Amino acid sequence: MSSHQNNHIEGEYIPESYIPHTESHGTKQLWKTFWILLFITVIDFIIYFVFPANMFRNITFIVLGVIKAILIIGIFMHLNFEAKFMRWMIILPAIIFISYLVAFLMIEGGFISSMKY
Amino acid sequence: MSNSTTVSSESIWKGGRSPFNVSYGKLMMWIFLLSDAFTFSSLLVGYGAIRYSYGGSSTPWPDPANVFNHFPFAHGMHLPLLFVSLMTFILIFSSVTMVLAVEAGQRKSNAEVSKYMIYTIIGGFAFLGCQAWEWSQFIHEGGRLDTNMFGLTDAGHAKATALKFGSHYEWLAADRAPGPVPFASLFFIVTGFHGFHVLSGVIINIIIWLNVVAGTYIKRGHYEMVEKVGLYWHFVDLVWVFVFTFYYLI
Repeated sequence: MSSHQNNHIEGEYIPESYIPHTESHGTKQLWKTFWILLFITVIDFIIYFVFPANMFRNITFIVLGVIKAILIIGIFMHLNFEAKFMRWMIILPAIIFISYLVAFLMIEGGFISSMKY
Repeated sequence: MSNSTTVSSESIWKGGRSPFNVSYGKLMMWIFLLSDAFTFSSLLVGYGAIRYSYGGSSTPWPDPANVFNHFPFAHGMHLPLLFVSLMTFILIFSSVTMVLAVEAGQRKSNAEVSKYMIYTIIGGFAFLGCQAWEWSQFIHEGGRLDTNMFGLTDAGHAKATALKFGSHYEWLAADRAPGPVPFASLFFIVTGFHGFHVLSGVIINIIIWLNVVAGTYIKRGHYEMVEKVGLYWHFVDLVWVFVFTFYYLI
């Protein structure tokens, strides 16, 4: 297990134990992200009690949820600081398949409803 | 990162270096989390489709505000969303302590990693305790995998519309009627599946924390295991964002 190296030699076979060196970006950005997440949750809470339940309010909640998700994935899960190909390899399948599922939800849910009632 | 910026994208694929510039273990954790994201999105999309299909039903989908309106030590008070907001705060806070542990690991400060991981584990247990309380309230009021007693009769509906934040209320037997069963079963399935992820996250956190205390990562020279368990923990927080949105807000 002592073969772990932080830098491998150019042109050499990349071992499975290759660990790229990750550098600290400081804690300032992390705390800032925390306060933004908390702020968005408070906004959610306020919108819930101030506005009546309708489609526009639901869309607002989903948009705020997606913003929270982007902050968590990008900053907390460190994906913003990964290599370009790594970022797209994770993000692209998620966007494609989840939007595919959501499209099914809209079509099928409406059909089930019209069949039942 | 410094390597990938100086080299053009063409030569990145010529071999000799990983185009993803990420270790084997972390890559596998990401791919696992991607598959888990599909699992959770299927559950939530299924929930959405079923809920949407009750749109024209004579037994409408219960309003979450009339179901999840309890707060500890405030019995009989109508306080919707307050308790889940507290749970959200606990999970976001444990997420920030986790990322601080990762950051301390990058600076190779063993004592700080240990400290922040303890905070994260406490946050995880606090969240699980809240969820246990939430479940016990739900079961106590008549929610089962195959029964939902949160439907409202006309008398109950009149009472529910008059409720304001913080006002006192008491549901009588005449107020409630059986409602859509999937409301209760999906509550148990989705929050249970998420809670099981939190539980396993806490257990993995404890194992990694024991390794930190034992000095395993000082010997190894890097804290990659803390980063990997951190990815998992943030994912649990990420899923909660959507459970919170679809179950309690909408």
